[in-house]
Amino acid sequence: MKKNDLKSMGKSFTKYILIIGALLILLDFTFHRHEYFSFAEIYGFPAFFGFVSFVFIVMLGKWLRKFLMRKEDYYDQ
Amino acid sequence: MISSFVPGLIMIITSFLLPTIPQYFRHPAMLLSVGLSALSLFNGYGTFLEWDILGLNLILYQSDSLTLPFAIIFHIAAILVIIFSWHSKNLMEHMATLAYAGSAIGALHAGDFFSLFIWWEATALTSVFIVFAGNTNVAKDAAMRYLIIQVSSGVLLLIGACLMLYQTGNHNLAVLDLKTNFGIFIFIAFGIKAAFPLLNGWLQDSYPESSVTGTVALSAFTTKLAIYALARTFPGTDSLIWIGAIMTAFPVFFAVIENDLRRVLSFSLNNQLGFMVVGIGIGTELSLNGTVAHAFVHIIYKALLFMSMGAVLYRAGTTKASELGGLYKYMPFTTIFCIIGAMSISAFPLFSGFVAKSLIMSSLGGMGMVLIYFILFFASAGVLEHSGIKIPYFAFFAHERKNKVKEAPINMLIAMGIAAFLCIAIGVFPKYLYQILPYAVEYQPYTLDHVISQLQLLVFAIIAFLFLVKFKLYPSEIRSTVLNSDWFYRKMLPGIGKPLFKKIGLLTDSLYKNLGLSFKQVLSKSYKFSNLSYIKVTTPSFAGTILISILFIMLVIVLV
Repeated sequence: MKKNDLKSMGKSFTKYILIIGALLILLDFTFHRHEYFSFAEIYGFPAFFGFVSFVFIVMLGKWLRKFLMRKEDYYDQ
Repeated sequence: MISSFVPGLIMIITSFLLPTIPQYFRHPAMLLSVGLSALSLFNGYGTFLEWDILGLNLILYQSDSLTLPFAIIFHIAAILVIIFSWHSKNLMEHMATLAYAGSAIGALHAGDFFSLFIWWEATALTSVFIVFAGNTNVAKDAAMRYLIIQVSSGVLLLIGACLMLYQTGNHNLAVLDLKTNFGIFIFIAFGIKAAFPLLNGWLQDSYPESSVTGTVALSAFTTKLAIYALARTFPGTDSLIWIGAIMTAFPVFFAVIENDLRRVLSFSLNNQLGFMVVGIGIGTELSLNGTVAHAFVHIIYKALLFMSMGAVLYRAGTTKASELGGLYKYMPFTTIFCIIGAMSISAFPLFSGFVAKSLIMSSLGGMGMVLIYFILFFASAGVLEHSGIKIPYFAFFAHERKNKVKEAPINMLIAMGIAAFLCIAIGVFPKYLYQILPYAVEYQPYTLDHVISQLQLLVFAIIAFLFLVKFKLYPSEIRSTVLNSDWFYRKMLPGIGKPLFKKIGLLTDSLYKNLGLSFKQVLSKSYKFSNLSYIKVTTPSFAGTILISILFIMLVIVLV
């Protein structure tokens, strides 16, 4: 029972976020979004940039563990 | 009469009186002292107190449009910290916190580099006790390192001030550049406290080791005092733009893999300082307004986030992501407040981060700085990752929790509630924040373009998170230490230094042994001669050698 709580919350959260995401992309087609830089005015550019940046940050961070991660008591040794 | 005191001084005096006040009245007394200090906010602009000493004119109390917003937010932060720590009976920490906040407020009102130096060191000496209050061996070690670095920053500031006085005959706070040697000293002094790249190790080393309440106090003052000082003395310094951009981007990757959530917040603090430093580097009225606005809102939401993690530490006993999760059921209010803080720092529209960050982004866009603009835009996705998602997700959700814990004490909830209210109030009514900024600038953060652009960035970054979790690509939390720039002086230097000193020690020991022997021989000959048989000569150890040398040097200094 308890396990379903978080799972169902996660599922409905995902659903709403996807709906909002879709709406935001659709909105982009209804008006001309002014930006400081013309290439950022391409449809869905901030969305694409956000998605790619996020994945990049997490993946690079994960990779950096190879170099930066030590045992918890590293400084006590 | 009290309003003509140096602001903050009354808080320091009260802090020293705290031991004489019964426990029950300590917190009201602390609040009262902050209230009395805050009366100075209504004094207007000008120079109110100077002191001629040793031929120097010290400006102890001045106020202008740049000091005022910082003074307001420092007082608010002090009040939040006091309420948040209402349940605590740790006298030393209360004294240190109040004196620390008072010193930081005093520093804002200093008009010359020597007065600033005094307050600069005062914030170091008071805040180190807050790190100590973590009351673990790790905290005590971190406190010592913290003290050394903070005091070094002060010493550099003093050297800069002396050189400036010697070369220009002036020591008042003024706009400096990096073409002068004193400018460079002062720049590095400020840079240490502002946690510039590679000078940042102390921040992530010490803040997470402090107590439940201590970290909240630490997060508010030192670094923002440095931002204030940079904004006053180095506006428009080009190199700050790049330094700031690096500060926004790099801590992001460390925050992804860090396990201790209070340390994640310390990396995040570093990243936020980057935005402010970029604003100072651009140096236009709009960007400086952006820096001040960002410092203002940042103090509130960062305090809120640290308070929520403090509450978690207080109730669950840890802030390690690998051991948390599922707290939303037991600490629902803390969860909500934390999410409000997370949305503010991520700059969702209608939250305070949005109305402040927009000023800096607009000034970058307006100047056509495309690369920096997108580094900061990229870093915004990073902020969402570590502060917006990671903090609330791993503490309160992630997976179900087996052990029950209680909701945070009422005083903590009140402090978090006030901070959360301010986050939303400023986000919804930004004009009140804009009114107290240094320059009068007409600015509208809520344009359709801007709101949609920001929402697209944030929502699709969240979708990326869900995608990574769904496909099990999101890195799991591992109990670990993440190397940071403090590694250089915690591992590398001792790694080189210890064997080196050992060698030098052996060398001097053997040298001394030989010298000692020959000395002995001379002596034995001499006391054979004088027949003083009670003289005993032993071979001094390495420590003895050092001691004797120090005594000798002191003697020379005294004689000279």
